[in-house]
Amino acid sequence: MTQDSAAGDRRLSDGFGEVEMSSPDLFLDATSATPAVRADWRAGCLRMVGESYPENTYEIFDQIITWVELFLAQAGRPLRLELELNYLNTSSIRAMIDIFDRLQEAHDAGVPASVVWLYDARNPRSAEMGEEFREDYTFAFTIAAQDH
Amino acid sequence: MTDSGPADPQRLDRCRGEALELRVAELLADPTHEGDPLWQALRDFVDHMAHQVARLERISPMADRSPSPWPERVQHLSQRFDRQINRLEKAIRISDRYQTILNDLNRALEDASSHDSLTGLPNRSFMADCCEREDERLVRDTTTYCLLAIDADRFKLINDTYGHETGDQVLIALANSFQQSIREGDYCARWGGEEFLALLAGADLSAATRVADRLLANVRAIHLPHEKGWINPRVSIGIAQHQAGESYREVYRRADSALLEAKLQGRDRYVLDSPGGGENPPG
Repeated sequence: MTQDSAAGDRRLSDGFGEVEMSSPDLFLDATSATPAVRADWRAGCLRMVGESYPENTYEIFDQIITWVELFLAQAGRPLRLELELNYLNTSSIRAMIDIFDRLQEAHDAGVPASVVWLYDARNPRSAEMGEEFREDYTFAFTIAAQDH
Repeated sequence: MTDSGPADPQRLDRCRGEALELRVAELLADPTHEGDPLWQALRDFVDHMAHQVARLERISPMADRSPSPWPERVQHLSQRFDRQINRLEKAIRISDRYQTILNDLNRALEDASSHDSLTGLPNRSFMADCCEREDERLVRDTTTYCLLAIDADRFKLINDTYGHETGDQVLIALANSFQQSIREGDYCARWGGEEFLALLAGADLSAATRVADRLLANVRAIHLPHEKGWINPRVSIGIAQHQAGESYREVYRRADSALLEAKLQGRDRYVLDSPGGGENPPG
């Protein structure tokens, strides 16, 4: 797993394509039990792709939640989450709810936040998970099929 | 008092207080006590009490109106508790849904690993396991089984003439026909290509020939429409019964030899692998 959270202009390739970093971004490579994470400060976008069932959920989600909190508190710009998560264990579900709760708090405080829940078009039942997560939130939460 | 219920201590206290006030008021009103130094002291004391009661009555509503932090804190905690319960229930609900999807996927994978995707019949690996279990059972039980090696007649010709897609349709129709022909508890698998294997547990040759007769008849009833006409598939069957000490591989080899014999004899029939041999007439 690689992690980049230091400031400074540089370019790197992480599987999502080459990107330029000039702010506290967070990049985590996918493992067999954790999703790839690309938190792009400049783009105001947090993208997570893969599955999440790590032994220690806090190891990965603490960093993500901290990044989200920091962005919402300091960036002064909308935050967009793009999630392509095929499977989450119970601890990861709880962590995602923590993240969504922070988006809701930001939304209530006037900071725009949105989620795009992408699911595999071959497995429409995974859209139901997005529906379950979306319940109770009033910020923009889009559920869309992803063709492979 | 006619109340026979349990005495309320506060009410009793109030009654005693009222009785005392009444008695003191009577004493103060009695002119015979005037001039007694205690009378004046009692008079002053009663006036003082009345003044204190009046103060309390003024203060009490003000105290009620003054803000207390506790109701608000309790409400805040109660709301946080409700929110946490909702979050927990939501996480459980989502987790349960994932679990259901995983279970379904596991079942689908299990099915895919044990069944032929074209015909839906058990595959060779699954059938081999069934046969091995049957061999193990026969070590303990004095029973038997028969294997039917079934092969589609002139299948290459069907493929070459009508194309592989039609060939697949023929295999599917045959598989459905086999499923309808075997008995409850029997297995029929796609053994490979156009070859199938049926395991008839507990069946001797006599029972197996009844199944084979039914199977041939059902296959002969298949008429698949095609732009070039009708396709009427046929099958040949070799039948072998398990002998003491044999493994299913040896039984299969004998059934396969009987199948070859059925082909040599003109197809569309079964041949028994038995000392006396045996075959059924073509339909």
